[in-house]
Amino acid sequence: MQEYVNITIDGAKISAIRGTSVLDTAMEYGICIPHLCHYPGLSDIGACRLCIVEHIVNGKAKVTASCTLNVAEGMVIRTDTDRIKRLRRNIAELLVAQAPNSRAIQDVAVRCGVKQVRYPFHNDNCVLCGRCVRVCAEMWQAKALGFVGRGKDRHVDFPFGRKPDFCKSCNTCIDICPMTITPCPGPMKTGEEYLCLACEGQLIMADSLPGACVWCDLGKGFQCTRQVQAG
Amino acid sequence: MPPKLNTLEDLKQFRESLTSREAKVTTTITICGGTGCQASGSVKVIESLKAELAANGLTDTVKVRVTGCHGFCEQGPIMVIDPANIFYCRVSPDDVPEIVSETIRKNQVIEHLLYTDPTSGEKITKEADIPFYRAQDRVLLSQNRRIDPCSIEDYIAIGGYSALVKVLGGMTAEQVIQEIKRSGLRGRGGGGYPTGQKWQQCREAAGDEKYVICNADEGDPGAYMDRSVLEGNPHAILEGMLIGSYAVGANQGYIYVRNEYPLAVSNARKAIEQAKLFGFLGDDILGRHFFDIEIMRGAGAFVCGESTALMASLEGKVGEPRPKDVHTVQEGLWNKPTCLNNVETWANVPLIINKGAAWFASKGTKGSKGTKIFALTGRVKNTGLVEVAMGTSLRTIIHSIGGGPNDGVAIKAVQTGGPSGGCLPAEKFDLPVDFETLAEAGSMVGSGGMVVMDERTCMVDVAKYFIAFLQDESCGKCVPCRLGLGRMLEILTDITEGRGKPEQLDLLEDLGETMTHTCLCALGKTAANPVLSTLRYFRQEYESHIQDKYCSAGVCRELIQYSIDPNNCTGCGACLKACPNKAITGESEKPHRINQDLCSRCGICKDVCKFEAISIC
Repeated sequence: MQEYVNITIDGAKISAIRGTSVLDTAMEYGICIPHLCHYPGLSDIGACRLCIVEHIVNGKAKVTASCTLNVAEGMVIRTDTDRIKRLRRNIAELLVAQAPNSRAIQDVAVRCGVKQVRYPFHNDNCVLCGRCVRVCAEMWQAKALGFVGRGKDRHVDFPFGRKPDFCKSCNTCIDICPMTITPCPGPMKTGEEYLCLACEGQLIMADSLPGACVWCDLGKGFQCTRQVQAG
Repeated sequence: MPPKLNTLEDLKQFRESLTSREAKVTTTITICGGTGCQASGSVKVIESLKAELAANGLTDTVKVRVTGCHGFCEQGPIMVIDPANIFYCRVSPDDVPEIVSETIRKNQVIEHLLYTDPTSGEKITKEADIPFYRAQDRVLLSQNRRIDPCSIEDYIAIGGYSALVKVLGGMTAEQVIQEIKRSGLRGRGGGGYPTGQKWQQCREAAGDEKYVICNADEGDPGAYMDRSVLEGNPHAILEGMLIGSYAVGANQGYIYVRNEYPLAVSNARKAIEQAKLFGFLGDDILGRHFFDIEIMRGAGAFVCGESTALMASLEGKVGEPRPKDVHTVQEGLWNKPTCLNNVETWANVPLIINKGAAWFASKGTKGSKGTKIFALTGRVKNTGLVEVAMGTSLRTIIHSIGGGPNDGVAIKAVQTGGPSGGCLPAEKFDLPVDFETLAEAGSMVGSGGMVVMDERTCMVDVAKYFIAFLQDESCGKCVPCRLGLGRMLEILTDITEGRGKPEQLDLLEDLGETMTHTCLCALGKTAANPVLSTLRYFRQEYESHIQDKYCSAGVCRELIQYSIDPNNCTGCGACLKACPNKAITGESEKPHRINQDLCSRCGICKDVCKFEAISIC
C-alpha cells in the first residue's frame, strides 16, 4: 500500500509517494530539474549538484540537492528561482569547462543557460558522475569498478588497476555513461570558450522553455530520467 | 587489584586514600610530556631528572609528575616546581643536576632557566605571573597541568569521575540533557550546534542501538587543541562520553583519532584500560549503566573530520561525506542514531555536571557560553594553546596573551577557524570571539586555529595556500568542491604569478558563492571562505597584484625582484657563495650584482647578507 504525502513544488500542490525523492516526484509530474549523476533505478549520491532546489525550512530557503532529499508532508520546494538558476548555471559552467567535448555536458550546459564559459577549457573524458560505479555494484552486484584516489586525483578504475575476472564485460557501464554519446559537430576549443552555432541554436529553444518538461532534445543528451523511462 | 568503585562514598574514600599516600611528598616537579615538549627533548630531561633524584635519595619527598601539554609549547620543555610555583622553560638534561642541587635542595631560583617576558624583558619566577597564562581562563587546560594522563588516580584525586557518579547516582537522562541545555554548551568542533539539543534529538530518535563518537580527527594546519586535551586528560573525555552515552541511551562509543597522534592514541588506550579496571567502563558501571569505548585510528584524511565521512570511515568504507538531509542523530553510524561530539565538547561535560550549568553559563556571551581553547600561532611573541572565555576580543588574545607583533612588524590580520575559516583584518580585532560574531564577519570559530599574520604576509598567497590545501583534501565527490577548488586555485595562481585579470575577482566571488550554497558537505560549503574573506577585507591587495603586478609583502616570487644596493654592499661574497643558481656576480670587495634572468627569487642571499644590502622591490 503506497502512502502519499502532500508537498508543494513551485506553487503546485502535489501528492507524492512517501519514500521517493523530490527529483523523482518532480520528474513524474513533468517539472524539469536538470540532473546528471541521477539515473533511474540506481541509488542517489548527490555528486553533480545540478538538481539543486530551494527547500523552505522555517521560512528560510535552504539550497540542497533534490535527488537525495526525500519528500515529507508539508514540504515546500522551489526549483526555478533566480538564485537556483544562477547557481545551477555556474555548476554547469564548471562541468562544461572541464569536459567541453561531451555531448551530455554540452546539453546540460545549454539546458542550464550557460552562454559563455569564464574558465579556460580542460579536456577531461570523465566528470565522475559515478553512474558506471553504481550500475556495476547495484544492478550487477559485481563491484568491478570503483572510485580511486581523492580530490583532484579521483578517478574510476578497476580494483588495483587490473580488470578482474568478475567483470563480465557486460558493457552496461559504457551504455550508461553520459560521456559516450557522439559530441556536437562544432567541438569547443581552448581560447574559444563559447558555444558553437549548433548548440547556440538549441539554446534559443531552451531559453523559451518553461520549467515544465516538453520532451526537449537536450534531455536525450544527458539521459534525462523522463527520456530513459519513456524508452 | 584496584578497587571497583560503586558509590560516591567509595570514590571519596579512595580519593582521601590517595592524598594520604602522598603525605611525605614536599615538592612536586611537573614536567610537560606532551608532543610539543617531547619534540623539544623533554623525554631526556625526565630520564635524567629521575636518575638525579634517585642518586640524591630524594625519590620519597620529591614527586615527578609527567603531564600533558601546558599550552606554552614554544618554551618547552617546561618544568614547574611546586609548591613554590617556580617556572623553568627550555630545560635541557644538562640543567638537571643544577636544578636538583640548587632549587630542590636549597630553594634557590636558577636565573638562566627563568622565562623572560619578551614585552618587558623581565625575568619571571612564578608560573602564575607569566602574562601568557595570566590573561587566560584555563578551565580545561589547567587540569592538564595537574595530572599525569597515564594515571587514573591523578584524575580521581582532582575530582575526576565524580560527575559520572553524580549522574548515575541520582539523575535521570532527561535531567542530564536539561542540565547540558541550560549550560548553553555548543559543539566545539566548528559547527557550534547546541550539544543538549543534539543529545535530546539522539535520545528521542527511534532505535534501541545508539552510538556516541568522540571526533578527535583534528587536521587543521596549526591547530592542536584536541590533541593536547586527549593526550593530557583522556579520562575527562571518557567521563564526558560516559555521561553522554547515559543521556542518549548508547552502550557503545568510539574515539576516532588520527594516527598521526601516537601519544594521544596510546594515552587514550591506557585510560580505557584503567577505567575498565576501576569499573567505570564495561558491563556494570555503578550498577546503573553499561558502556564500552573503542579507539579507531583515522588514516589521515582531513575530510574524515566531517561527521558523515567520519562515520563512513568508522564503518570501514571510503571516508566520503553523504548528504545530511537525514541527520546523523537519526541515522548515523551503521544507520543507527549517533551522537558525535568533538574532544573539547566531551571534556566540558564533566565540568558542567560537577560545577553546574549556571557556572558554565556565567562565562561567555549571550549565544556562546563557556571557554574555548585556541591554538595561537603565527607572527606573535607568545604562541601556544590559549583558553579564554567566549566573547574575549581578538585583541586580548593577540596582544595581551600573544604579546603582540613579533620583530616590530605591524600585525595585519588573523586567520581563524582553520582552512575553512576566514581572515579578519586588524581593524576587526575588537570583535568578541563567539560563534555568531565571527560568522557575521565572514570567518568562523571553527575548531579554534588562530594564525596571526603581519605585513610580511601576502593575503593572496594565504588564500592560495588554503585553497591548495583544501583541493588536496577534498574527497572529490561533488562537482562544485572538486572542480570549483581547482578553478579557484588556477585563478589565484594566475594572480600571484602576474597573469591576473580584473574580471577574475568577480568570478572568484561568484564561484565562491556557488560553492558555499551548493557543495555536499561542510568542507565544500566553507572552502571558499579564505578567498571570500580576503577579497572582502584585502581587495586592494588582489587589485595591486593584478593591475600593478605588485606584491606589497614581497612574497609572490613572480612579482618581485631582489636587488643589491651598491652603497651597502661590501663585496664580502657571502651571497655569491650562497646563491644556488649562480645568479650573483661580482669581484671581491666590490658591489655585487644579481642577474635577474638566473635568479629564482629564493631569498637566500637576503638571509645571508649581514649588511642589509639586499632588498626586495
